[in-house]
Amino acid sequence: MTSTSSSEVLLRVNDLRVYFELDHYHQRDLRDVFVSAVTKPLSFFFQREELYFVLRGVSFSVERGMRIGVLGVNGSGKTTLCRCIAGMMIPQHGTIESSAEVRAIFDTGTGIMPELTGRENALLLARLFFPTIRDVRPIVEEAAEFSELGHFIDVPFKKYSKGMQSRLLLSLISAVPTDILILDEVLDGADVFFQKKLAQRMRSFIERAGATIFVSHSPEQIRQVCNKVMVLNQGKITYFGDVEPGIAAYLSLKAPAHAGP
Amino acid sequence: MSLRQFWIQTQDLTIASMKSRYRKTWAGFIWVVLNPLLMFGVQALVFRKFLRIDMPDYLLFLLGGLLPWIFFTTTIQMGTPVFVTQAQLLRSFKVNPWVILGAQVMDGFINFVASFVLILLPFYLFYDRSPLLLALLPLALAPLLIGTLSITVTLSILNVFHRDINFVTGFVFSLLFFLTPIFYPREFIPPGYAWVAALNPILYFIEPFRLVIHTGSLEEFLPALLKSAGVAVVFTALGFLVWKRKQNDFYLKL
Repeated sequence: MTSTSSSEVLLRVNDLRVYFELDHYHQRDLRDVFVSAVTKPLSFFFQREELYFVLRGVSFSVERGMRIGVLGVNGSGKTTLCRCIAGMMIPQHGTIESSAEVRAIFDTGTGIMPELTGRENALLLARLFFPTIRDVRPIVEEAAEFSELGHFIDVPFKKYSKGMQSRLLLSLISAVPTDILILDEVLDGADVFFQKKLAQRMRSFIERAGATIFVSHSPEQIRQVCNKVMVLNQGKITYFGDVEPGIAAYLSLKAPAHAGP
Repeated sequence: MSLRQFWIQTQDLTIASMKSRYRKTWAGFIWVVLNPLLMFGVQALVFRKFLRIDMPDYLLFLLGGLLPWIFFTTTIQMGTPVFVTQAQLLRSFKVNPWVILGAQVMDGFINFVASFVLILLPFYLFYDRSPLLLALLPLALAPLLIGTLSITVTLSILNVFHRDINFVTGFVFSLLFFLTPIFYPREFIPPGYAWVAALNPILYFIEPFRLVIHTGSLEEFLPALLKSAGVAVVFTALGFLVWKRKQNDFYLKL
């Protein structure tokens, strides 16, 4: 990893390509597999699956201090790109060069054990998010306070509203600075006041260290959080640069779909 | 993630899972022991008294096969759907899936140890066996644990792609129960059908345990242990290959 005082590259993505077999979009029970092997043996054993490319040669670099807003219509490859960077998926082609610590959150509506309280879930999640920290209790206490959940922190997680779940999980994941933080459409559950508070917290810890990759469909959220925009369309980057031109590029993508006769 | 971090996370998740379960009902823990005890009682009655299987220390023989069988089958059946039931968690965060599966297997193993201590150990001591032989148990349990974990890995990944795997597994176990020499000794199988036992992977995992508990024969123990370790290595390699092949589609299908 190269390192300079002004633009330290935390992550370099080179010619990333990810594809799936189209058949994999269909859920098939073993019984269905058995039926098609018996009724259509030739096509079952010899037909090659069609490939669906989700990412088609994506290349970019993330420098320290960047808050990248990723925009794109549904199915443009945003989540797949984030999962590759988080190390959850392995691209079939291309490389991701990084020694940075990556933390990622793709949904805020989930705890691990719904029967346990918010605090107990947060303790467990903190162990999973921050494996190198021995005592996670101070982090959980800080996150509980930031989330403003009050006495609800000791109520079973299953009783939480979506907004409360979102508050707790976002407070927790942003409690410890990381090199790269990935947030994939996760602000939608929180109310507008908490979104602003969280955006401020993220800015403050990005100033201390790291970078953020922030996926959203909301130009307003992108304006609040980001200083760069990436537009993905059909698995390719069509724009990477300043925020306002990026939002304009995204809206021009969407325009034809909304244009009625 | 280091092995130590993996172990700490697995422990935490196992404890939380047990806490969550027993907070709902303390009767759950009684069930953990009651279930194998009832199975043992009924099978002892049927096979010893009704079918009159005659061999020395039959009750110890039966327990030595039944407890690992219950551990093996219940852990696999509880572990196979774990990625699907925890799909939202796995999709939401960068969480190591193997921690979730490891915690499930650990949970099953704790139940096994509890039923071993509360049910089998009193029988073992009653039959006046040498407690020294029990020192071999960790060796006998290692391939059983690793084999169970590896098979659960393979099936839990496949269950993400074919959601009826657990039903099929349950059906296969109900067939294997009769084909595996648990309630009858292996010597009962006629020579022409010896291949039925030779092809049964579960038997390889159970045999070292039963040799310690029932037979107490050191000459038979070592070859059985080596075979058991070999089968465990094969299933570990299989689990690893299936994960490598399916890793990308795994998140897509969850």
